[in-house]
Amino acid sequence: MSNRYDINDDNALVIDINHLTKNYVTAAGQITVLKDVNLHVRRGEMVAVMGPSGSGKSTLLFVLGLFQPPSTGDYQVAGVDVLSLNRDQQAIFRREMLGFVFQTCDLLENSTVYENLELPLIYAGVPRRERPDRIREALRMVNLDHRVHQPSNRLSGGERQRVSIARALVNEPEFILADEPTGQLDRENSLRVLEYFTKITEEARTAMVVVTHDGMTAEHCTRKCVLTDGYLNG
Amino acid sequence: MAIGKRKKITVAELDRIRRRGAGPMRYYDLVRVSVREVMRKRRRYIGVLASIALGMAGFIVIITMGNDLKKNFNNDLDLLGGATIINVMFEPQNLERQEWFRDRTLEAIARIPGVLDITTVALKTSAVTTWHDRLFGFNLVGCEANYWKVFSFNAKAGRLFDQRDVDEGARVCVVGADLARQIFGSEDAGIGQTLSIDDNLYTVVGILGGVRAGDRALFVFLPITTAKARVVGISQPYSAYVRCATWDDVGSVSKAVPGVVKANQIDRGLRVNVAWEPLKQVQRIFWWVELFIYSSIVATMILGGFGIWNIMMATVTSRTREIGLKKAMGALDSDILYQFLFEALCVTLSSSVFGVILGRVGIEYMSRMLGSRPPEGLFVFCLLMGLGFAAILGVGAGLYPSIRASRMQVVDAMRYE
Repeated sequence: MSNRYDINDDNALVIDINHLTKNYVTAAGQITVLKDVNLHVRRGEMVAVMGPSGSGKSTLLFVLGLFQPPSTGDYQVAGVDVLSLNRDQQAIFRREMLGFVFQTCDLLENSTVYENLELPLIYAGVPRRERPDRIREALRMVNLDHRVHQPSNRLSGGERQRVSIARALVNEPEFILADEPTGQLDRENSLRVLEYFTKITEEARTAMVVVTHDGMTAEHCTRKCVLTDGYLNG
Repeated sequence: MAIGKRKKITVAELDRIRRRGAGPMRYYDLVRVSVREVMRKRRRYIGVLASIALGMAGFIVIITMGNDLKKNFNNDLDLLGGATIINVMFEPQNLERQEWFRDRTLEAIARIPGVLDITTVALKTSAVTTWHDRLFGFNLVGCEANYWKVFSFNAKAGRLFDQRDVDEGARVCVVGADLARQIFGSEDAGIGQTLSIDDNLYTVVGILGGVRAGDRALFVFLPITTAKARVVGISQPYSAYVRCATWDDVGSVSKAVPGVVKANQIDRGLRVNVAWEPLKQVQRIFWWVELFIYSSIVATMILGGFGIWNIMMATVTSRTREIGLKKAMGALDSDILYQFLFEALCVTLSSSVFGVILGRVGIEYMSRMLGSRPPEGLFVFCLLMGLGFAAILGVGAGLYPSIRASRMQVVDAMRYE
């Protein structure tokens, strides 16, 4: 299958979502959580998706991350129709093209920073000799390269989130998806994390979608979308 | 490396990566991650590890030492009934000369697999001696030095004559306990005395003892060489006693003996006597003992397997979020499956390594206790069987939890609190 995605275009369309809906069937009947959602994110863009609780932010995040399929609609990432991929292809696509930053950091227990960053490289089949350089480079982006062998449970909240960002970066993704990345951080650490996000999108021209309800986080984004009652505006 | 290196991927490329599958390096990495995970959470596996290790050690000790144990057990039980002693004899035939055992026949019988020892006896049923003007009649037996070993006899007082006495044709004798009391007044009093038997003088060197010595309490024993040279009217060795290594050998040896005899001499009047009833009783007792031991080992191992299954299920549940995270990072279902499977294998294999070490210690201890040494090859065989069984146990007990982990939906795993 041909792919028209132009890797030399600094403004190439990375995320292309059209008329996307998501329904859930519950005991009370069918609920439509996402209604005719359209989202287009280009390289270097950092898009904030805001909305109140229950507005469908998490559902959109799970659809964007290929964790669950939408009910209807089109979804392309870097020119690939990701909805047509099977389970294994989606997993491979996720590790090659997507990076995730979660609110709770979700670093592996009883592991060092290095081991946390090594795991995506193992899954991607990166040779062992290449891993230390790539891990240090990713940590350097978030100024944590001096903590490479530190146990993750000895890091502060801000440091843990930065490790989480470095882990999202280590496989050189085209698109980073962040879920409330500053939700558990104080203002100072939040600002630092957002600076790293800006740096990543500006320097690496990576596309980023940040799901948040924090105004300050949204202000740092290049564009802001609001999800209300399943509709995405902006 | 440059963060933000431009990447483009096609469906064909995705398929190519999928088809390429996990190379040896990936498996090595997954094993490494699994071992690390088990090592860091080793406390939760201690109970299961101990259970499998003990089962494995028991298995190795029983299998490796089983034969030596059986021989030892056989010796102890045999004292009660002589279940593993086969009596082979030539019966007198009408008008025909009664046959007796030739040396080459005895040597050939001794070479039959399962034969531990063989001894012959020459008999004179009406020997007499005088002591302080009193006359005593008794059975006189000429026998080999290994006669004592075949019947598990020992010296109640003094010593039993040995191979050197037999080789030299020494004029020594061993006296049955009752006869010694009748002649000398007590058992100890006869030691060192000189007895006149059929006009020849013999020094009493010992009094016969042992569980089965009661049958021969009125006998006098001479080295067979001495008896043949000096006793007038002593019989030829018409009768031989074959001691089998274990009761399992009795059947095959008793079947083989007639053929071997026939191949070496005339077998006219040959009769093979086996104490089948005591033998069956002994076998029955040991069968129950074996059943009990093996059942205990299997139960221990199965409990260990259930323990692993249970722990792995709990581990999968408690690490649901981690599984979701790994899948979000791009782990394939097979990566998750192998990781949990390797963790289960790591627990069972390390348990079996501990089991092998414990088993080795047990073997060393039992070897000293039994005074025998099992073949190293048997230990290595048990070791390999133990490792193989541990691998089967690991895969068997870890497979379902691993499949469950691998099939988990990312969205469910990520939402799991």
